[in-house]
Amino acid sequence: MTAEFDATVESEAAPLGVSARPPRSLTRAFWPIAVTGAVLALVPLWLGDSRLMMGLAVDALVFGAYAIAFNVIFGSTNQLFLCVGALAGVGGYASAILADTAELPMAVGLVLATTLATALGGLLSWIAVRRSLGVIFTGIVTLAFSLSFANLVLGQRELTGGETGLVVAAGEGTFLRERVAAYYLFLGLLVVFLVVFRALERSHIGWAFRALRDSELAAELAGVDVARYRIYAGLIGSAMLGITGAVYAYSDGFISPSTFAFGHVDVRVLVMLAFGGLGTLLGPVVGTVVFAVLDEFLIDFGQLRTVVYGLLIIALFLGFKRGAVPAVADLLRRLVRQARSRLGRQP
Amino acid sequence: MLEASGLAAGYLGKNVVEGVDMQVAAGRAVAVIGSNGAGKTTLFRALCGMLPVSAGRVRFDGEDITGRPAHRVARAGLAYVPAERHLFPGMSVRENLLLGAYPGRPDPSAFELVLDLFPRLKERHKQPAGSLSGGEQQMLAVGRALMSRPRLLMLDEPTTGLAPKLARSAYQALQTLKEAGVTLLVAEQQVPLALSLADRGYVLETGRIRLEGASEDLERNPEVRRAYLGVA
Amino acid sequence: MKAVALDGIVLGLQFGLLGVGMTLIYGLGGVLNLAYGQAAVLAAMVVAITLAAGAPALVAAAAGLLAAAAGGVVVDRTLMLPVYHQRGERRVLLGLLLTLGVAFVIDGLLLWRYPTGALRLEIGGEAVPILGVRMRVGSLLASGISLAVGAILLLFFRATTLGRATRSVIQDEVGARLVGINPAAVRTFIFALSGALAGLVAVTRSMTSPVSVTAGFDFTILALIVAVVGGLGSVAGAFLAGVLLGIVSTVSAFYIGQYITTIVLLAAAALTIVMRPRGLLGR
Repeated sequence: MTAEFDATVESEAAPLGVSARPPRSLTRAFWPIAVTGAVLALVPLWLGDSRLMMGLAVDALVFGAYAIAFNVIFGSTNQLFLCVGALAGVGGYASAILADTAELPMAVGLVLATTLATALGGLLSWIAVRRSLGVIFTGIVTLAFSLSFANLVLGQRELTGGETGLVVAAGEGTFLRERVAAYYLFLGLLVVFLVVFRALERSHIGWAFRALRDSELAAELAGVDVARYRIYAGLIGSAMLGITGAVYAYSDGFISPSTFAFGHVDVRVLVMLAFGGLGTLLGPVVGTVVFAVLDEFLIDFGQLRTVVYGLLIIALFLGFKRGAVPAVADLLRRLVRQARSRLGRQP
Repeated sequence: MLEASGLAAGYLGKNVVEGVDMQVAAGRAVAVIGSNGAGKTTLFRALCGMLPVSAGRVRFDGEDITGRPAHRVARAGLAYVPAERHLFPGMSVRENLLLGAYPGRPDPSAFELVLDLFPRLKERHKQPAGSLSGGEQQMLAVGRALMSRPRLLMLDEPTTGLAPKLARSAYQALQTLKEAGVTLLVAEQQVPLALSLADRGYVLETGRIRLEGASEDLERNPEVRRAYLGVA
Repeated sequence: MKAVALDGIVLGLQFGLLGVGMTLIYGLGGVLNLAYGQAAVLAAMVVAITLAAGAPALVAAAAGLLAAAAGGVVVDRTLMLPVYHQRGERRVLLGLLLTLGVAFVIDGLLLWRYPTGALRLEIGGEAVPILGVRMRVGSLLASGISLAVGAILLLFFRATTLGRATRSVIQDEVGARLVGINPAAVRTFIFALSGALAGLVAVTRSMTSPVSVTAGFDFTILALIVAVVGGLGSVAGAFLAGVLLGIVSTVSAFYIGQYITTIVLLAAAALTIVMRPRGLLGR
């Protein structure tokens, strides 16, 4: 970019997201996850009777998992992957097809499907890195991938059920199909993802992520192999998406192109993270909860729901660069500090 | 013609130049000299509206133009040629010149003036500006600024990237312009060249005017000689 | 085969027009307008409503184009302001996200109000033989309009002061300011123009097949593909890419199938980015 003359010159790095360091001590680092897990574990006690509500709760957890994965890919390394749904869809469709049509055991199907999703995500990262694709081009290429996947599924009707969707036989009769059990399974997955996220943050990988987010050039000069770390993020995030998609297929019993569509998944994940904060540990979880509640309220609005989401996207990204919750948290912290210093000044 | 009083400007809330008082009389040439980082570019950007002014006023021909956006300052008759030139690389020499006359239609005599001054541009008039050499780009940048028949021409380090011979011929061109009645304001690190053209000079150091005076006086000033003319 | 190729050109010219609007906005400020398709659909709906109210075709078409152009101006003067304050990747991201939000708002509103809306323009007349192939009058009219508008646009950007000024803002915004051009005014103009172009595409498209209220995102993706392949910021590139992709698309749809065709188009864009990011005619 040519030299800026504005007095509002801002660093081009970290366009969205945080660069704070995670807490050093083990307990401080991981207790938020434990608490979150414990709190969420109580939900079935409250909603367990309604199959409908539990179904929605499971969905919310699934999206939470997606959001964490996106957080790893985009929040950590600024790779705009607009194919979150598609990568999960790879996991979902591959596992379903392998288990049903190829009659492989579910565990094998799961592993293979996850591997496929991981490989594809890693490939996308690798391409973006090798060709030095910026945000826009990465976004377009991944969007192209996402839409191509959707069209592929629609086109290969015999294999995938096309537009009408695929009934997944694998998993029938197992605990996976019971909503409460499924809830705990996905909660476990969510907690594992959170732990992985935190562990990454605290590792040398996380240090590299922060460095390259702050200033890619400086990181390179400091010896950080930006390319490699970007690909790591792509691989890890895609693996998360693949697993989630695969387990979802087995657990829900029905998948269709709209389950994993861009308009359904990616947009929702974006809004969720706009609320909860990109790059933060619990941002995805906060976003999940807020969104689930919001969705419930808007259920009667029909198409106007889309309007509300659009307005939310506009308002959130205009107002809060790092997400609504971090902004509010910042504000609170500042208020507390002001109050403390005022109290301190009193004789 | 151009007057700055108490001018201050900078980036990200910090002032780079402060308390600048300057006058450029019509038909004269004024040089602003100073080393790298002294704030010459910041000052010029503030004068022509490319950078917001944090304090002070700028008056052009009696009119207060402080804070006026750059494109309106350009239309008022103040043409600025920055060090980076900012030509339109994919457009031909001819198109660059045509745009110099924006928003009006280009005056054929303006074209003639420019091409007489820089005959090399005539040869290359269909070539894209991005393919020109450094010296030719500088000529084009100045030529483009002249197309609007400005009353004041501001040039920021016009000799950047030019070999000494080209730098001298650039200043010869500026001398011709001065004789034709164009008011000039030049920022320069190459002090001898600048003072040879200018009637008055201002020495800028760490954002403030350190010295000012007629260029002969500045040339003889021992501090100036020591700092900028490499004479012990 | 000839029929397919000719159909491809007809489609391609519309693709080209579609791509031009998208490429112009990107060229100006690095902003991808994800609400572009919605502008087309908005125009289509306005035309449909105006026609239903009994207005003559030209008036209805003008109303549609005006509506889309006005929409563009509104978005530029409001939402885009914070986007232009940003630079580099921040600007790109914010532009993407905000226009996405706008797309949802317009889409949602239109779908809510006219859930089954579609624009159909019936152009009567005997099929005309062109090069031995019988072409519908609607297709010919649509192509003629697209060609004419395309030629006018190219001429405009080459030979008029405003056109040159627009190109200059694309090439060096600072330089443009230095010669007295107001980039903000140019941007507003381009948003209006691109909205009108989107509307025009909707109108011409409806002469060959109905434009449904759900077509918004499809239009956007198509425009994006054409703009990318042609070279972001290049008007001539968008036209060239449009025609080429139109032919590819028709041939592929005829011989292979619809879904594969979409994948082929998407792959064309992805491959362009990976192998030759400046596209066909970009810089």
